[in-house]
Formats: sequence, C-alpha cells, structure tokens
Amino acid sequence: MDDALVVAALLLVAAAATVAVFQRDPARQAIVLSLLGLALAVLFTVLQAPDVGLAQLAVGSAVTPLMILLAVRKVRRKGHRK
Amino acid sequence: MNWWLAAACALVAGGLGPCLWGAARGPAGGRVVAQNMATLLLCLVLLLLSQGYGRPSYVDLALVVAVLGPAGTLVFTRLLGDEMGERPPGTRLLTPAVLVGAPATVVPMCIAAGPGRAAAKLVLIGVLLIAGGAVTSRAVRRG
Amino acid sequence: MTRRARLWVLAAGLLATAAVYAAACTELPGFGGSWHPYGDRAVHAALRQRTANTISSVNFDQRAFDTLGEETVLFASVLGTVVLLRRTRDEKRVAPEPVRVPAALRRYGLLMLPVTLLIGLYVIAHGQLSPGGGFQGGVVAATSLHLLYIAVDYPALERLRPLGLYELADGAGEAAYVLLGAAGLLAGPAYLANVLPLGTFNTLSSGGTVPLLNAAVGIEVTSAVVVLLAHFLAQALEIEGDAEEGRTA
Repeated sequence: MDDALVVAALLLVAAAATVAVFQRDPARQAIVLSLLGLALAVLFTVLQAPDVGLAQLAVGSAVTPLMILLAVRKVRRKGHRK
Repeated sequence: MNWWLAAACALVAGGLGPCLWGAARGPAGGRVVAQNMATLLLCLVLLLLSQGYGRPSYVDLALVVAVLGPAGTLVFTRLLGDEMGERPPGTRLLTPAVLVGAPATVVPMCIAAGPGRAAAKLVLIGVLLIAGGAVTSRAVRRG
Repeated sequence: MTRRARLWVLAAGLLATAAVYAAACTELPGFGGSWHPYGDRAVHAALRQRTANTISSVNFDQRAFDTLGEETVLFASVLGTVVLLRRTRDEKRVAPEPVRVPAALRRYGLLMLPVTLLIGLYVIAHGQLSPGGGFQGGVVAATSLHLLYIAVDYPALERLRPLGLYELADGAGEAAYVLLGAAGLLAGPAYLANVLPLGTFNTLSSGGTVPLLNAAVGIEVTSAVVVLLAHFLAQALEIEGDAEEGRTA
C-alpha cells in the first residue's frame, strides 16, 4: 500500500512538470514551477530522501520564484523603455 | 500502510492535485491563491509523512515549509503587483483551511508524541502555519 | 542543414537514446527490495564515524571531495553571475520607487526574519543528526534576509546587507572548506580525512569534521545566495541602461 503514495507523488510531479512546460507567460510559469518544486519535495520524502527534499524546498519555495520574477521585471522594464 | 500515511496520500491526491489545477489556469491572482494553498497542504502532508514513517526528524521539512511557504507566496504578491487583481477566486477558502487543517494535524500528532521537545516543535509549526496563513491571505486579498 | 535533415538527426538521436535507455532499464534491480550493497556499507561507515545522518556522512566525510567540487561549482557560478550582472559604464543607478506595504505584512516580515534565520542556523547545525545541512540551511538563512525586501522595503534590505562583507564571507566559506581538507592532509592520512575526535553518537558534537565542513558550506551558501540575489535585485530595480537599444541591436 506504500506504493500508492509513491504513485500519487510521481503522477503529481509528471502533471506539474507537463503543465509548467505548456505555460506561455514566464511569470505564471514561475507559479507552476513553484508547485512542481512542492510536488518534488513530496516525491523525495516518500522515496525516503528527506535531505534532497529539504534542498528542493529551500531553493524552490522562495529563491527561485524571486529570481525568475526579478528577471521578468527587468526584461519588461526594458521593453517599456523602447 | 497506516492511517497517517493514508491521510497523507488523500491530501496529495485530493488537495495538491486540485491546487495544481488551480495554478495552471485563469488569471494570476487565482493561481497565487492555489500556490499558497499548496504550501499549506504540503506542510500538513510532510507532518503526516513524518508520523506515518515513524521518523521524527522528518518534521524539519515541515518546519522549513512553514516559514518559506508564506515567504514564497509573498514574493508572488509583491512582484506580480497589479496583475493579481482584487480578491482573486478561492481567497475565502484560505483562512478556514489553515484554521481547520493545522490544528487537525498538529493536535493528534502532539497527543501521539506526548509532552516534550517534539510536541513543542509541532506546536511551533502549527503557530507558524496559522500566522503565515493569516498574513498571506490578507496580502492576496489586497492584490 | 535543412530543417528536414535536422529533424531526421533529432529523431535518430532520440531513438538511439530510447533504445540504450530501455536496454539499461532491463538490467536495473527491482524497485524497493532488500538488497542495498552500497547503502549497507555507507550506513556501516556512518555508524563507525558516529554520524547519525548517513547522508551527511557520505557528503562530508566518505565523499567529502565530491562536495568540495559541488561547492566550487556554486562559488564559480555566482562569481560568473556577478561579473555578468555588474553595472557597466553606460548604465546608471536610479533610486527605485518606494512601495507602500500594509502594516500587518511589515510586522510579519520583521518578526519572521529572526525566526527564519534561526531555523536556517538550526538546519546547518543539525546537519550531522537530521535531514539538512550547510546547503539547505544556508539557503533558508539567505531567504530570511530577503523577507526585508518582500515584506518591508528595498532600502531596509540594503541597510541590513553590507554586500562587501557577504562577498568576503563567500570566499571565506570556500577557503575554509579547502583548508579543513588540508588539515586532514597534515594531521591524518589524506586530503579531507576526518581527523577530529568523533564525539558521542547522536549529539551536536559528533561526526568529527562533518559539522565544521557543514558550517563552512553554510557560510558559503548563505553569502552566495545573498550576493546572487543582490545583483538580481539591483538589475531589476535600480540599474537602467542608456544605450540598451544600441547594445542589443
């Protein structure tokens, strides 16, 4: 029955990754990417790799979205000035 | 498989799944609400997994999510700004979810753990979750 | 090469990869199972070195040299980003517009900064005991500072973040790891050998050099993420180029 958790986590990761690829707007893609990070953290924990899960959580929950959104803001500002 | 793991499995399938659906479509505001809900549910899932596997040290993951989850949501509300819109759909669900979900997970785990450092850590996570939920739902509402 | 030819090359490459991958998968041991030759040896070695978290024992003791490589990758990539995102001569610095933040959000940010920092330090310090370590805790600690930008305002972050010191600490963390390795060479048999007393199993002072190496990585990662985000923030909020159109053409 433990496999049910592994299967649920794997399906969630696959779905989140697919959705992230098909987003057009980078800012909204960052939101889906953050969810992909959360799903990966569940998968790593379920596979008994909490160290990797913790690294994924630390990087994926705030730092990565911040970097992506700052990059988006810089690019948009450039676009406005043109 | 014990009841803790069954509950975690139910939350992954029935909670995180719909959150992904909500984050994948519609305007930015609703997506951020779904992302915020997902961090709350993830924290509960990690707590349940730690109890289900009998590994108290896994609670550290939930502790980190309880502080970084709200921080992540605040990154979105701060940098998306006007794109968020006022009162995105689903905002009303956030406060009840955190007020019901956090005690419903933390209290049974505290009873199972008994008084001591482990229970204090669980209570701290519960308090952080409720504080984070209150602030993020407010930040999301203002848009 | 025409578009058609490129597609054929791509298809051939994908097919070959799929075939090799499928062939490799047939040789894999089954999922789960009880036969873990590498895991058993790693756990055995971790217990001998009195490190409760086997992953930390592998990362910072049994294969500490690999971690030196990983740390250097982070160091070098942050260095590269700093060079790429520096302010060039034809760009000017403009003060960003102030943003009004609700009082409740500001209070939450100011309250959570020390709490998050403490949790980061906790994760670094308990690397040899529970999941986590220098990298994970370092990123959490670096995130805590940026609550100032997220929940208060940008000038508050700039006041509490002496960038020069963080750049210095980034290098110092990297150097500390290299020097701790050299200590193993001087006092023991090999580079990065665990030469310190191993301490009592499952306490903070256990694992010999593992907690020290974790601390070195923690300092390096915290400073690296702060420096990295500082340049992203400066580019996104402050720096404006005069000749951007000319350069991008």
